[in-house]
Amino acid sequence: MSEWLVTNTKTIALWCGAIATFAIYSVLYAENRFYRLFEHIFIGLSAGFGVYVTWSQVLEPKWWQPMVHKGQWQWVFAAVLGSMFYFMYSKRHAWISRVIFGLFMGLSAGLMFRDFYEIYFPQMGASMKPIFGNSVGYWQSVNAIVFYVILISSMAYFFFSFEHENPIVQKTAAAGRWFLMIGFGAIFGATVMGRMTLFIGRLNFLVNDWWPSVQTAWRSRVFQAIVLSVAIALVIQAFRVLLAGRKMTPPSG
Amino acid sequence: MNVFEKLQTIDRRILYLLIAVVIAVPLLQRPSRHPRIVFSEVQNAYQTLRKVPKDKIVIVSCVWGPGTRAENEPQTRAIVRHLLREGTRFVILSWDQLGSQLTYEDASEISKELGKRYGTDWVHLGYNPGPMYAIIRGLGKSFQGVFKVDRFGKKLKYIPATRDVRDYRDIGAVVEITPSGTVSSWIAYFNQPFNIPLVFCPTAVMSAEAYPYLDSGQLDGMLNGVIGAAQYETLIGMENERTYAAAASWALSCAHIFILLLIVLGNLGYALSKRSPQRRGGKSIV
Repeated sequence: MSEWLVTNTKTIALWCGAIATFAIYSVLYAENRFYRLFEHIFIGLSAGFGVYVTWSQVLEPKWWQPMVHKGQWQWVFAAVLGSMFYFMYSKRHAWISRVIFGLFMGLSAGLMFRDFYEIYFPQMGASMKPIFGNSVGYWQSVNAIVFYVILISSMAYFFFSFEHENPIVQKTAAAGRWFLMIGFGAIFGATVMGRMTLFIGRLNFLVNDWWPSVQTAWRSRVFQAIVLSVAIALVIQAFRVLLAGRKMTPPSG
Repeated sequence: MNVFEKLQTIDRRILYLLIAVVIAVPLLQRPSRHPRIVFSEVQNAYQTLRKVPKDKIVIVSCVWGPGTRAENEPQTRAIVRHLLREGTRFVILSWDQLGSQLTYEDASEISKELGKRYGTDWVHLGYNPGPMYAIIRGLGKSFQGVFKVDRFGKKLKYIPATRDVRDYRDIGAVVEITPSGTVSSWIAYFNQPFNIPLVFCPTAVMSAEAYPYLDSGQLDGMLNGVIGAAQYETLIGMENERTYAAAASWALSCAHIFILLLIVLGNLGYALSKRSPQRRGGKSIV
């Protein structure tokens, strides 16, 4: 049995992947137990694998080994500080967790100063583009003008310190709103592209990795019998659903 | 219900099925033709990595996991292949538990294919839980102070590819392959302070937000999703090979055309149904 498992590991992995893919995508047809089962399996597997990787690649070599086997006893304080987070589950001792949370909040706030300086200052500098000059070409000038028009009108939209009563400010802010909408449209388009790519990835797995293994397996009588049994079971289930007049809820969104 | 109204009420499950069919055809065909137009940001990414001196290493930082494998894996594979072909040493950092295994498998496969060796040409540093800013800042000052061992527990000072890497002076470039907004940590704590080139490989969702960084020169290049990976493959001489990135680009184009068609049909149906006599309360003459 173990030898069979070793020689067929790749095929087993392919089939598990395909069944899991079908199960997860079955929610596109309707909410069902098959989908829920595999969703829980995925969460459980990820969590389990995460614990293993965290121990084997982080805690064991970087914390446990130095502390226990190399005499670096000061690592014990890491465990003390880390365990302080868990006091949030105790009403009486929740203040202990607040100490460590406060520490991290202060750290994050301090880091934001640096983030702002290193990330946004260079962008502010880069926004000051030359429109004319010996080294500026025709298209660079056009680009710079377009850039300034969009920058100024978008910023005008966010002037909330005073009423937009002046017609020039009103028109500029309205143009800014349009530019923002176009920007959001571009981001949404990129999002659609990204989501579609994820679907392509799964479909590629089914078409180019799993399907060849189905063609190989189809030569076996046992496999044909299993496929036939599953098909019959699905048809029976479909009839049961139709006869019971059960309404299946399509997914929302 | 007339035909225009029917156009707006097509069951979404039929649309899902049609999308699947539209995408499956290019994937089954697996065309070898890569995009001939290469974006300037992809070109810049290629040039940046080509110019890395051979005595320096490149850090390939992978934040991705199985959730965005379809987009980030082709980018990782293209970058790894390029670096191995150029003979530029590199280390892979993984910030995702599952991604750690996937990136190791990818690099191992390509390394074996090109006859390169783990330890001499590349090293995998395993999974790092973060906090990212602390690790990034630390490795600039003392690389082997932050990373003592590789993913197998072997000390970096005994591995040929990493034994001479002390601090930022031995790092030629950073490649950040990510589905989230982690690039700002590299910009703020490593690339800006130490003036080291940074190549960004985001998912398509993230790419729109990266253009200000490219414009300001904080990023030296970018591979935009799977399209960026396909374009990068064109640059490294794989334009006639049947790769996943090329097939995915075709599938993506087909899906986009199909979606545009559906948007046009839906709007056409809406506009025409508003004009139809039944909607206006009048009698149909047909």
